[in-house]
Amino acid sequence: MPRGARTDTRADTAIAAACVLVALILLVLPDAPRARTAGAIRGTVVAPLVTMQQRASLARRAFTSHDSLVLIADSVLRRSQRLDEVTSENARLRALLRLGQSIPWDFVPAEALVGRGMGDDNTLLLSAGARAGVQRLSAVVAAEGLVGMVQHVDAQSSVAIVWPNPELRMSATSVDGTAFGIVTAHQGVGVAAYLLEMRGVSFRTKLPVGAQVVSSGLGGVYPRGIPIGTVIEELRGAAGWERSYLLRPAVRPPDVTSVLILRPGSVATMDSVWRVAPDTTRPR
Amino acid sequence: MIPARSLSIAVVVAVMLALHFTLRPILDWRAGVDFLTIAVLVVAVRVRPGVAALVGFAMGIVADALAPEAFGAGALAMTIVGFSASRLKSAFFADNVLINAVFVFVGKVAFDLIFLVAERRLGGAALAAQLLLWTPLSALLTAVVGLFVMSVVRPTLERRRG
Repeated sequence: MPRGARTDTRADTAIAAACVLVALILLVLPDAPRARTAGAIRGTVVAPLVTMQQRASLARRAFTSHDSLVLIADSVLRRSQRLDEVTSENARLRALLRLGQSIPWDFVPAEALVGRGMGDDNTLLLSAGARAGVQRLSAVVAAEGLVGMVQHVDAQSSVAIVWPNPELRMSATSVDGTAFGIVTAHQGVGVAAYLLEMRGVSFRTKLPVGAQVVSSGLGGVYPRGIPIGTVIEELRGAAGWERSYLLRPAVRPPDVTSVLILRPGSVATMDSVWRVAPDTTRPR
Repeated sequence: MIPARSLSIAVVVAVMLALHFTLRPILDWRAGVDFLTIAVLVVAVRVRPGVAALVGFAMGIVADALAPEAFGAGALAMTIVGFSASRLKSAFFADNVLINAVFVFVGKVAFDLIFLVAERRLGGAALAAQLLLWTPLSALLTAVVGLFVMSVVRPTLERRRG
């Protein structure tokens, strides 16, 4: 082999080895610097691609939900024709009953951007970031219930960890408020890996199968009353004077397309939003 | 001055990137087409292995930035796939487009395999299902699309070379 060609081959191998080394370093970086590096890339060179992906997701949603949106728009139009009358009637009745205004609660709507299908089951890239007012440790909810928590915020996007992530822990309670515990992802195999686990429930409190579990509001991240899951069975082998339960999650992260990011501290309870009643917790 | 051939390759890469971040989310298939792998392989057979490794690394970083949980795994896998494809091009990448399609399939399978091992998230049955079901399906689709892309870009790139 000529000397020049041999030198070129060595240079190629050296470049590839350097790339592999950098990739390995990125893989073993602690979470915080890794999130910062990914955020810096997302906010600069990849920003146009994130925007393109966001538009594509919106286009897909518009395409798939066109018919239902037309129906909703028709219903909204019909109801809005009665809105003025109802609003004034509501104000009059509230004044008669000496009620205050309904509690305002603050949220940022966002799209969940589609990932590559592998390696992103525990996180969700959201289309709203710091410019829209998203803050770290904000709760992320979908129509069905609690999705997760914002872990990293960029200017135009943010990354949320979702419940399959073993780092996510939620303070939870039964709907009637008798049982409290901590909900985490269930570390099972096969189908059980897609379930939740409620630990630390006091031994004297027994939850029936089908009981709904909601966020307790403790800890300040998740307002009270957001559905988390439904009890499937009690887990055996819990040590000490406590019980553990296996839960079917209220939200399946792969099905999440649109979410609401709740601003921290904006509201203490969301009981009235989902209106989960104890008698509606029976298994179907 | 940038040679016309390099410009053509850059255009192909840009189009693949655009498709990856527009068409793929719109289709939203469980076993989706991996346009980034196609882009890396299209480039890898036309440049030196070192450059192919760099392009693979860049593509992997782009994909990783949008799924930061496995940040670095995509870059590692794409680097190895790009470098290997470029090293093997003289031996295997003949003028036969079908053979190129087979190599896109193998490239995609190799990418998934390295990626899944590097990120260390899946294990047991989930890993087996991914590697034995979803990865081959995705690789098959990627190969079909890769075949189409290569048959479209080949005349342009070969003319530039001539």
